[in-house]
Amino acid sequence: MPHIHYPLTMAAIQTDQLTKSYGKRRGIQDICLTVNPGEILGFLGPNGSGKSTFIRVLMGFLRPTSGTAKILGRDCWRDSSTVRLEIGYVPGDVRLYPWLTLQRALQFVGKIRGTDLRQPGHDLADRFRVEPDLPVRKMSRGNRQKVALVLALVHRPQLVIMDEPASGLDPLMQDTLADCLREMSSDGRTVLFSSHTLSEVESLCNRVAIVRDGIIVASESLAVLRSRAPRTVTVTFDSPQAAAATRWPDFVSLVQTVDSVCRLQLNGAATQLIRWAVTQPVVDMEISAPSLEGVFRGYYGGNATIDGQNRNQITPSEPDPRASPRPEGAIAE
Amino acid sequence: MKGLLTKIFLEVRWPSLLFAGGFAAITSILTAVLPKVLGNFPGVLERLPFVKPFITALLGIDPGSDFSTSLIQALLWVHPSIFAVLWAHEVMYCTRVPAGEIDRGTIDFLLGLSVSRWKVYAAETIGWLVSGLAILACGVSGHVFTAWQVEEGIQPTLTTTVVILCNLLSVYIAVGSIALLVSCLSDHRNRAIGMVFAILLFSFLLDFLAQFWSPAQHIAWLSILEYYRPAVVIQSGRFPTGDVITLLSIGVVAWSAGGLIFQRRSICTV
Repeated sequence: MPHIHYPLTMAAIQTDQLTKSYGKRRGIQDICLTVNPGEILGFLGPNGSGKSTFIRVLMGFLRPTSGTAKILGRDCWRDSSTVRLEIGYVPGDVRLYPWLTLQRALQFVGKIRGTDLRQPGHDLADRFRVEPDLPVRKMSRGNRQKVALVLALVHRPQLVIMDEPASGLDPLMQDTLADCLREMSSDGRTVLFSSHTLSEVESLCNRVAIVRDGIIVASESLAVLRSRAPRTVTVTFDSPQAAAATRWPDFVSLVQTVDSVCRLQLNGAATQLIRWAVTQPVVDMEISAPSLEGVFRGYYGGNATIDGQNRNQITPSEPDPRASPRPEGAIAE
Repeated sequence: MKGLLTKIFLEVRWPSLLFAGGFAAITSILTAVLPKVLGNFPGVLERLPFVKPFITALLGIDPGSDFSTSLIQALLWVHPSIFAVLWAHEVMYCTRVPAGEIDRGTIDFLLGLSVSRWKVYAAETIGWLVSGLAILACGVSGHVFTAWQVEEGIQPTLTTTVVILCNLLSVYIAVGSIALLVSCLSDHRNRAIGMVFAILLFSFLLDFLAQFWSPAQHIAWLSILEYYRPAVVIQSGRFPTGDVITLLSIGVVAWSAGGLIFQRRSICTV
């Protein structure tokens, strides 16, 4: 099988000031993103935020308005056919030829990719439980998705780009897909996938990039995001009077007080809170696990923005000077 | 390329076979029937006087009161049903990629493989030309076979048949290239089909009207059929070099423009 020769240290994906606009409509704007080999990057964002536009630019389907996008060091637009030798791709809305069976697909995709894909294809088909001789016109949506997944993974690509790959899959198949992606990552192969499912992202990704209104508002490891995630704290004082008289430090905000029990939101490190608590008439304290959902909702809803100097510096709860209300349906995702 | 050609073969084999069979049947029927109908041309004219202008328009020359065998053969190759089959095949085939693929969303899968757009375009062109040649060959076979079988048929001469086929193939190339160009400009197959159909209808009507209506004569050069005159070729006995070059030039320009547009355009299926 023909392969691109590239240094192992080279970024799998690198975009610089990547912009794609559809006339007056905005698709993506000034996206700077680097994905390193072996990473599993979750690409998150609400509907119409520009996830699919970004993926389609990477695949060479859309010509960037400005900026550059490179995969394994090659330009995604100019060298798109060479680049795609090393890519497995699953589109957001999988549409396949009605006459296609997995068997036939493996034959003609194998001819196009210059290798015999029948044996590895059948192994993957067994794993995903796809009937090799069933034509696409007789398949359910989930089965079509599975065929697309098999065809994207069968040639063991260096990079897999998937637009909401788990949609239509049952939980067992989602697990199988997750296993495949983890195996790829452990082999040093790279995965970029867009998703709406937070649990999927939490269980799979090393890093997430969150896009809103065509702009990346966060690109960080899950550990960093977790450390930023607000926690719910329940503090029990020795009396209701003590609870009412307490002066709260600035890293917590009071949510509710019932008698001597106060519910707080912790916005800083737990150690700070513990240090503060030992100086108070506190009889009990419970700190919940960090909730990523809260973080994501914050970004999705527009309550978090990026710093003007560095896109990776997230400053939650500040207004985004660049975010502007978008007319309904203005962005082709 | 082999993989793409395999895919094209799987997709178009049955429709192409149907078109080839239909074309052979039509040429056979016309070969058998036309001499009988036109054998008594003065009698036909007496009963149906409006027929002559239509036949004159189709042939591009006045057949006079008697139809020679060569003129009957010319009429066979300009019969509307011949154009209908060939053009239907071209419109069906040449709007598949990219308009048809974008329309049904399968282009994401196709271009997600390691193929360049030029390769996809070239493979489609090969499929289109091969299937067109096969259909034309079936048509000629039907014509020749019936001419031998039927006593009172058109007896084709090899030279005439080859010359007319070269001219008809040039028309096929010009029309198909225009259809490919329109397909490359469009995201919707229905629109592409509609546009190509409108161009062909305009071409046919303009060529027809130019025989009777002088304003139409001034712009008759816009019609593709202006460069396809089997009757004139048969009468003069000369190869229509100018017409063939014009049609092939239209084909090359439209095909190249289509390829460049497909190469440079953004593909949006959402």
